[in-house]
Amino acid sequence: MTKRLLITAALAATLAGPALANSLVAPGPVPRIARSTLSAVPGTEWNRLSARGGKNVEIWTLDGDELNKVTFYGGVLVGDTLFRAADRKNAPLPKVTPNMLITDIPALLESSYRSQYNTTQMSIDSQEPTLVAGHKGIKFTYSFVRQDDELQRKGEAVGAFVGDRLYLVSYEAPAIHFFDKDVASFRQLATTLKF
Amino acid sequence: MKMIAFLRAAIVAAAMLVSAPVLAQEKTGLKPGFALAPNARIVLMRPSIKVGAQSTGGMFEPNADWTAQARDNIGKALQSTQVRLGNRVTPYDDAAGNDPVLLGQYQNLFKTLAGSVIEFQFFPGNRLPTKVRKGKFNWSIGQEVTRLPGLAGADYALFINTEDHYGSAGRKALQIFGAMAGVGIKSGLHIGYAGLIDLKTGELVWLNADQQMGGDVRDAVGATKRVNQLLEGFPAASTAVASAR
Amino acid sequence: MRFARLALLLAAAAGPAAAKSPPPLPTYTPAYEPSTVDERGLWGEADEEERKLRDSPLVVRDETVNAYVRRVFCTTVGQDRCKPVRIYVVEVPRFNAMMAPNGMMVVWSGLLLRARSEAELGAVLGHEFAHFELRHGLAAFKRARNISDALSWIGVAGGLSGVNTFGLQWALIGSFYRFNRDQERQADELGLKYLAASPYPAGAMPELWTHVMAEDDATKVARGRKPRQHYSAGFFDTHPTDLDRAVTLTKLAAKYGDSGDAAFAGHRTGVTPVLPMLLADQIKLNDFGGTDYILGQLAQSSGWTSDLLFARAELYRARGNPRDLVTAAGFYGDAIRAGCTAPEARRGLGLSLMRSGLASDGRTALAEYLQLKPDAADAKAIQALLAN
Repeated sequence: MTKRLLITAALAATLAGPALANSLVAPGPVPRIARSTLSAVPGTEWNRLSARGGKNVEIWTLDGDELNKVTFYGGVLVGDTLFRAADRKNAPLPKVTPNMLITDIPALLESSYRSQYNTTQMSIDSQEPTLVAGHKGIKFTYSFVRQDDELQRKGEAVGAFVGDRLYLVSYEAPAIHFFDKDVASFRQLATTLKF
Repeated sequence: MKMIAFLRAAIVAAAMLVSAPVLAQEKTGLKPGFALAPNARIVLMRPSIKVGAQSTGGMFEPNADWTAQARDNIGKALQSTQVRLGNRVTPYDDAAGNDPVLLGQYQNLFKTLAGSVIEFQFFPGNRLPTKVRKGKFNWSIGQEVTRLPGLAGADYALFINTEDHYGSAGRKALQIFGAMAGVGIKSGLHIGYAGLIDLKTGELVWLNADQQMGGDVRDAVGATKRVNQLLEGFPAASTAVASAR
Repeated sequence: MRFARLALLLAAAAGPAAAKSPPPLPTYTPAYEPSTVDERGLWGEADEEERKLRDSPLVVRDETVNAYVRRVFCTTVGQDRCKPVRIYVVEVPRFNAMMAPNGMMVVWSGLLLRARSEAELGAVLGHEFAHFELRHGLAAFKRARNISDALSWIGVAGGLSGVNTFGLQWALIGSFYRFNRDQERQADELGLKYLAASPYPAGAMPELWTHVMAEDDATKVARGRKPRQHYSAGFFDTHPTDLDRAVTLTKLAAKYGDSGDAAFAGHRTGVTPVLPMLLADQIKLNDFGGTDYILGQLAQSSGWTSDLLFARAELYRARGNPRDLVTAAGFYGDAIRAGCTAPEARRGLGLSLMRSGLASDGRTALAEYLQLKPDAADAKAIQALLAN
């Protein structure tokens, strides 16, 4: 944690400015999420983080992304990775491949996490079909432990392919207290998605 | 291995500090209107205490003797401070634990919670709008914390984390050289935070964090100063702490 | 051909079989206590880390596997040396093992997958223990302090000239806290002595090292990069050049000329309870070349078992190019014919066929999967694919 704080301090010192500030997401329609055609109608307030992590990635949180985090992947093209690789040379990320099935979505997320975050323990706990923005998609739950804080986290996500693009929205939080606290807000949000 | 990872993190952190200027940062958060219950029984969770030297390169050199001294000094200073405040401080009984994995998860969760408060509330440029507008101190570790064995009958849990890297002679020389070159280099690293969890609600009622702590934890006087600094703004304790300084 | 040349080099290094004489091991001082400030500091840190690691969710708790790893370690270094050591197997699918100055050994699960015999596992554990017995942790720590000292001065110089030194700092940090070449050589030598004095053959060490190099090559080739880049010693490369090391190890091992049972079957039995976990973790690393190489190595020892065929099929399906899906379907079929009872083989087969455009065959396999595992975590999602 010390490291993260110091990095934050350094970044805040060098980059602080209104352009980088986190912004409020008010209840009601929110268009063009993750610089894409993705939109949603949240029923509660969220905070949009200035930090992104990929060209079509957007992060919302309530208490900070380590405590609760909604990640929008807005239309990842075949041949692209979910998010930006931290070390493309030594730890490249898996790509969206042609003809993927809905059951390939959780596997892609898991493999990406294992490569990027040294997540050595992760499991997909349930997978069921669902309609996402009217498209045949998947809803799945998962759990994982990152090596840096060894905190057990739970996740829930919905995703679907539309043409050659993958749309995915996930919610993650520590298994103790935080996951249950805000999962209802996420589920409400997930029902309002439009691509 | 973890130790290696930590050493790496420490060195990276130190390297990054080479050019980071001093920051305006808030230090204390207190839940508005909160007052400590009279004769409160406070359980002190095993503090995370690391003391060592900082080499010229800013690398952390752990020092077991200093760490042991600091653990001892800080423990005593906490006791005497709290006794003066009329509270009962008892260390968390590991043996009563019986659920070391859950305890470990709570220690990790508290670190993450404190980190989130520091990152998203204490740094003004990085605030979360929903938290700011409420203008309040609204953080919680969750009511489920009462399930943790060994906390029955206690009113609050106190978490403490300190990390001290004392600058070596080489580091101080570099600091002077760096100043001439217009590069701000910190000699020594003294980070600490203390937080109080209300065991009835799980709320974080108070957090005090400082990246520039004073007080040499290696001796009793310094440790008392450090504890006073760690407990700065401690609810219902402000006058006593101020007079002790 | 790379491997052929390497094999020749190693064969030449081995030379004619020498006389057998187990080398004498240095006198071992049990119950060593730290004395200097640096040393006590490192022990204290390690103690605190061990306290945390003990309760970590990453620790593999399987008793059979833990007993197996301890048995191999004790067989390698002898009962006197092994007794006070605490071993923690952690679920990290990479090749590594470490020993902290306080006598805690951490074994990454990826080592269990890469070692092909008890002797190869013992070789790594013995090597790490040799660093501990020679108290290299402290020396490495002191050396690291010097590297980081250099690092800060670079930072200042960068500030002076306005050059961005960030990349350089990271490059330096990358080589942090590895042992230097002399220490690696010393640990290699002592590690070989343990092996030579044990029932295991000393030759296991260079053999393992050769495989590690080849795996690294395979990883790079599959990623379209040049192989064997690190075979020549770079300025900051603290390990002896890998090739150089393999040659030296082969020479040394040949000197002892000990034959002995490397115990391939013993290793396979020892890791059996966690093998599916090891394979699954490896496949999810997105390292096609390295993983395929490892599977091939395992197959050399045990033949293409149904477990290995299934893993290979999963690997190809995960990469997911159109031709991979065809290959994967073939391997799933092979696995099933070889007696693979895991319902997931039918699942993989069905999904590969569907993605290849063979929908009706795919549905048949998926239906079989659901019959075998009606309460699978993904049953509802698979049902949906069947209905489409």
